[in-house]
Amino acid sequence: MPELGEHGNVTGPQPIAQVVEPPGAMFAAAERLLNALIRGDRAGVEAMTAEQAREDMGRIADEIKPGKYDKFALIGRARVSRHYFLKARLTGTDAAPFTIQFRLGEDGGAWTVREALNLTGRRSGWTK
Amino acid sequence: MQRMIPVDKLARPEGHILLPSQRMRKARSEQGLAPGNAMPYEDDFLKSRMHGICAGEFQAMEAAGRTLYDFPDAPWEFQLDMARQVWDEARHAEIYMKLLEYVGSYYGEFPEGEVLWSCTQAEDPAARVAGINRGLEGLACDVFEQLIRIAQKMGDSIIERSVDYVLADEITHVRMGSKWMRQLTEGDPERLKKAQAFQDSIDDLFNFGGGRTTVEQAGHIKQRVNEKEIEIDSGITIAREARLLAGFTEEEIDRLVKGFGKSAAY
Repeated sequence: MPELGEHGNVTGPQPIAQVVEPPGAMFAAAERLLNALIRGDRAGVEAMTAEQAREDMGRIADEIKPGKYDKFALIGRARVSRHYFLKARLTGTDAAPFTIQFRLGEDGGAWTVREALNLTGRRSGWTK
Repeated sequence: MQRMIPVDKLARPEGHILLPSQRMRKARSEQGLAPGNAMPYEDDFLKSRMHGICAGEFQAMEAAGRTLYDFPDAPWEFQLDMARQVWDEARHAEIYMKLLEYVGSYYGEFPEGEVLWSCTQAEDPAARVAGINRGLEGLACDVFEQLIRIAQKMGDSIIERSVDYVLADEITHVRMGSKWMRQLTEGDPERLKKAQAFQDSIDDLFNFGGGRTTVEQAGHIKQRVNEKEIEIDSGITIAREARLLAGFTEEEIDRLVKGFGKSAAY
């Protein structure tokens, strides 16, 4: 939702709590992961993926050939308590955009992927 | 013409995170939270509770609109009621978006689930209104009544009055559902039975394993909300008074409290 503007200079109810800003380390981890995927760095991807998500992440990594994509953008984000679901789009000059959704959670200072889904060609991760 | 459109065909912004409920439950469990997004409450439960309601209002708006579109041969008064409900739900969505901003959140901060839309999947308008208007809007009466009491304990008249305004509409939606379930199935007991069975399946889905009780019988827990610690219900309660106002019978409410049975027609 777009920010509705400065609240301090208007009358009416003011927010009673602050918006939770996601940790910078979470964004840094997401960038490392997406860069590793783009490079085809399977070891780097695996190092950032929890055991439970390795199979799904392995399938996603298989789809991303090194050199095919050169940019990424985080296009969506939502949290469930302290875990973050992120939606990212990879783009390349001669490649159709590739969209993935993954969940990052922190444990002992390390952010790892807990689940991942290839959303390419789909509008959501919803069930049908 | 396609009826019962799948949940992933609903229009949403590209960046919106949409999840099946089992994925949300899994993410919560892994963090040591109760999977059902109900109890125990975490630090920012008010934000996530309001977010869930806001998403529900959007889906309720879409559901009423879809029912209007799907059944062009239904009585004109039925169509008018559905159109009114679309308007009501649109206002509710706006109110909850403002409330989200008020509690330091925004629409999209949390994922949106699909479970409410799944409750619209009925081919018969009588079943739709039984499930959506009586099942889901009945649940909304429970959740809103509890939220009003939480706001009262917080000493927050903004939340209290806003939610009370929405609750008044939900009560009329339940009454609307009861009226149309009865009228559309008049002289067709088999159709009525099917509509009730659809409502039962939805009531069951939201019974949280039989863990709901009355306001009077509910246990209490301490909960910190911003700077204040308040005592709130330890589970989702059943709002007897609001449900009676909405036209549920004492017998139906008792069945809900006991953890279930069939819905009665009246």
